[in-house]
Amino acid sequence: MAGNDDLDPMRMMREWFVKSEQMYSDAMTDVMGDERFSKTTGRYMQEALHMQKMFGEAMGQYLANLNLPSRTEIVEIRERVSSIEATLDSILVEMRALRAESASSTSAPAKKTPTRTKKAPAKDA
Amino acid sequence: MNATAEPIDESSISQKTIDARVKEVIKKAIQRNIPGLARLPETQAQLEVGTSDKELIYSTDTARLYHYTPLADEIYRVPILLVMSPLARGYILDLTRGQSLVEYFLTAGHDVYMIDWAVPQKKHKDLGLSSYACDMLGLCIDKVVEDSGEADLSLVGYCMGGLLSACYQAVNPDGPVKNLACFTTPVNGDGMVLYKKWLTSKSFDLDRLVDELGIIPSEIINISMQALRPLQRNANQLKLLNNVDNDEFVKAHLRFERWAVDQLPFPGAFAKDFMIDFVRDNKLIKKELTLDGKIVDLANIKVPFLHVAASFDHIVPEASSKDLIGMVGSEDKKEIVVRGGHVSLVAGGNAIYRLWPQLDRWLSERAD
Repeated sequence: MAGNDDLDPMRMMREWFVKSEQMYSDAMTDVMGDERFSKTTGRYMQEALHMQKMFGEAMGQYLANLNLPSRTEIVEIRERVSSIEATLDSILVEMRALRAESASSTSAPAKKTPTRTKKAPAKDA
Repeated sequence: MNATAEPIDESSISQKTIDARVKEVIKKAIQRNIPGLARLPETQAQLEVGTSDKELIYSTDTARLYHYTPLADEIYRVPILLVMSPLARGYILDLTRGQSLVEYFLTAGHDVYMIDWAVPQKKHKDLGLSSYACDMLGLCIDKVVEDSGEADLSLVGYCMGGLLSACYQAVNPDGPVKNLACFTTPVNGDGMVLYKKWLTSKSFDLDRLVDELGIIPSEIINISMQALRPLQRNANQLKLLNNVDNDEFVKAHLRFERWAVDQLPFPGAFAKDFMIDFVRDNKLIKKELTLDGKIVDLANIKVPFLHVAASFDHIVPEASSKDLIGMVGSEDKKEIVVRGGHVSLVAGGNAIYRLWPQLDRWLSERAD
């Protein structure tokens, strides 16, 4: 099976691409570093930002008429969910501290913790 | 409870159900015995990552601090705090069993903590380098000291996490950090050639981008990282095709791919600090970068220091990280350059044999 693979032209083509990928990537990166590329990308970015703002406002109104949430509203929901997650995490942290506190104040058997006595190996010369 | 088994009414089982069961049994038998047909998760999200047992010990809406459950009965006195890049998820350091730096440290007898940054929200758009390096990292360091009961710790930062750690230590040289290790840490903005060219171009208005968006979406970060090596993902897909009969390779590939696209957005102020002050104006090298009103001078770092770089790193190229070791003021300092790329350095197959033992050795020697 391995022998057959070696003669597979598609496989050979893929291996050639994998081996020469860095060379082509470097060439593309050089092109992207050119001032003309930066200028075009910069202009495109400005236009895209402007378009996004314009479309965002127009679509927001349109979606509101359809009784659907806009992207901004979905992002707001995601942020609220993240805040709720963060609050839940804080509660978990508090509970952990309370558990540790109550374990130390009662005679309940303490959770076995490793001792910090492991000796460091001698430093390499 | 009636112990007598009810007779099965065969007529109640439809032919369709029997066919489906037979198909399932045959499929399982094939998958068990033929390489390349293993039962793989249907989506990358189903892949198990970050498998080491951990406990959340501190949480804010921008960061989570975890303590990993020690695996040894006897551990070194000095705990390790791993600091991830604010652009990436922490599970790359704990990918899966047998491919986890965290697990390796735990097995070697270290006590491990990790800061995993959370997705920034609109209200975090003004959090800059100073907020991350001094305020949040500083708070997490204090929490580790409190939780471990030890007065000092070893700080290990990956990529931009290394930059945060080095900056923190440079402005807090008398703090609780006993040892500092930085992986692929950029210090010289001139070495990030493509970004520098974009940012010095008059047509590229980062200020406007940041002001309009507030938080830079992870898609933009992904695209700008891909620009550094545009065809690498295509090459990786072809490599996957060449190894499609190797289940372990396929799973590892899916895990890496999942992590690679799972980037975190960038708070606008941090993006400006990094792209303008650090890359465009190269202020860290010129000793003009300030955090908390203090000049960041890496010569203030006097604790034992280790820098680990990868020889084929295209994200943090050698030109942007090689000055770090010379700038640090420690007497006990060392640099290790490993063959590999930015990510394979910490999680690739070679990392396990090449880097982790050296890293463990360096930290262990300074851990009591």
